[in-house]
Amino acid sequence: MFSLVSGVIGIIAALTIIFLIRRDHLHVRYGLWWIGVAIAFVILGFFPQIIDRLAASLGVAYGPVLALTLGLTVFVIKVLTLDIARSRNETRIIRLVQRIAMLEAEMQRLAASIEPPPAEEAGAKEPAPREAGED
Amino acid sequence: MSPWKDWRERRCIVVIPAHNEQRDIASVVREVRRVSGFPVLVVDDCSTDRTIALAREAGAHVLPLSQQLGAWGALQTGIRHAWRAGYRYALTMDADGQHEPVWMERLFGPVLEGKADVSIGCCVRRGSKLRKLAWILLKAASGLKMEDITSGFRVYNRRAMELLSGHEATLLEFQDVGVLVLLRNAGLHLVDVDVTMLPRTSGSSRVFHSWLVVVYYMAYTLLLGFSKRRVRR
Repeated sequence: MFSLVSGVIGIIAALTIIFLIRRDHLHVRYGLWWIGVAIAFVILGFFPQIIDRLAASLGVAYGPVLALTLGLTVFVIKVLTLDIARSRNETRIIRLVQRIAMLEAEMQRLAASIEPPPAEEAGAKEPAPREAGED
Repeated sequence: MSPWKDWRERRCIVVIPAHNEQRDIASVVREVRRVSGFPVLVVDDCSTDRTIALAREAGAHVLPLSQQLGAWGALQTGIRHAWRAGYRYALTMDADGQHEPVWMERLFGPVLEGKADVSIGCCVRRGSKLRKLAWILLKAASGLKMEDITSGFRVYNRRAMELLSGHEATLLEFQDVGVLVLLRNAGLHLVDVDVTMLPRTSGSSRVFHSWLVVVYYMAYTLLLGFSKRRVRR
């Protein structure tokens, strides 16, 4: 009975993911991962003996503990990679916002020519290293 | 004899991050312009008051941020801009008037003379006992030796500006420990310069304004200082 429940959960999850991709709520790239999770649920749900056999070969006395431990580990890794990706995105957004501000100021300076850049003032002793190594 | 006249040629800029500082921004900008004659760059961190207009009126060049990036995000924008525009030295100061332009000359000294890459205006007399305890903890965690690690009154040379303009410095939230550790680990020479600071006349510290924020700040900075401790580049 329990195996049937997790198998059904897997099928519902898969359908939900397909629905989310259809409605553009989920990027296909991430949908792939979640479909993988749903398939794992279905397989392990309908064929729980896989886990039992794996547990026996690894010397784990109670199969479901192995399933839960593996599942939790995968989950933690996934959440960690999510936060890594979020940090990267945050860097990108901050640098974009900064760049927009710089361009906005530059536009205004060009439009009004308020203050000439220092390179002109000081007779350009060294070339202004614009863009060097910057995104 | 004032060295300002010689320094005019040295391509220095003053960077001031500001968030809702309409009360003091104009006088700070005017005072800096009057004392040094250096161009002033105000980075506006999404103010909802008249900060931008008042800063422009006072003669500052304004970088308006379209999203609020916080104190360091705004400051980095200014340093990045100054670096791209070819300035060789950048002085940073707060917009609330607690840093006095009269000390600028003293702060610029060691960097312009090539004795240091970064000079930090330190005022150890300020701050409560709790703040001092925080400094001791932060210094112990990060291994920093500066007197006043939270001071935003600093002068950076071009090497420091380049380093701070990079991606590595982008995810920082505060300009103290993270920035100083980054500079130190890159082998830059940092010096303390004794100055006095005025008490804030308006607003409150952007770091120490509520208990929850203080706890977050301490946890953030301790973890950051500790995890970056032994990095050598």
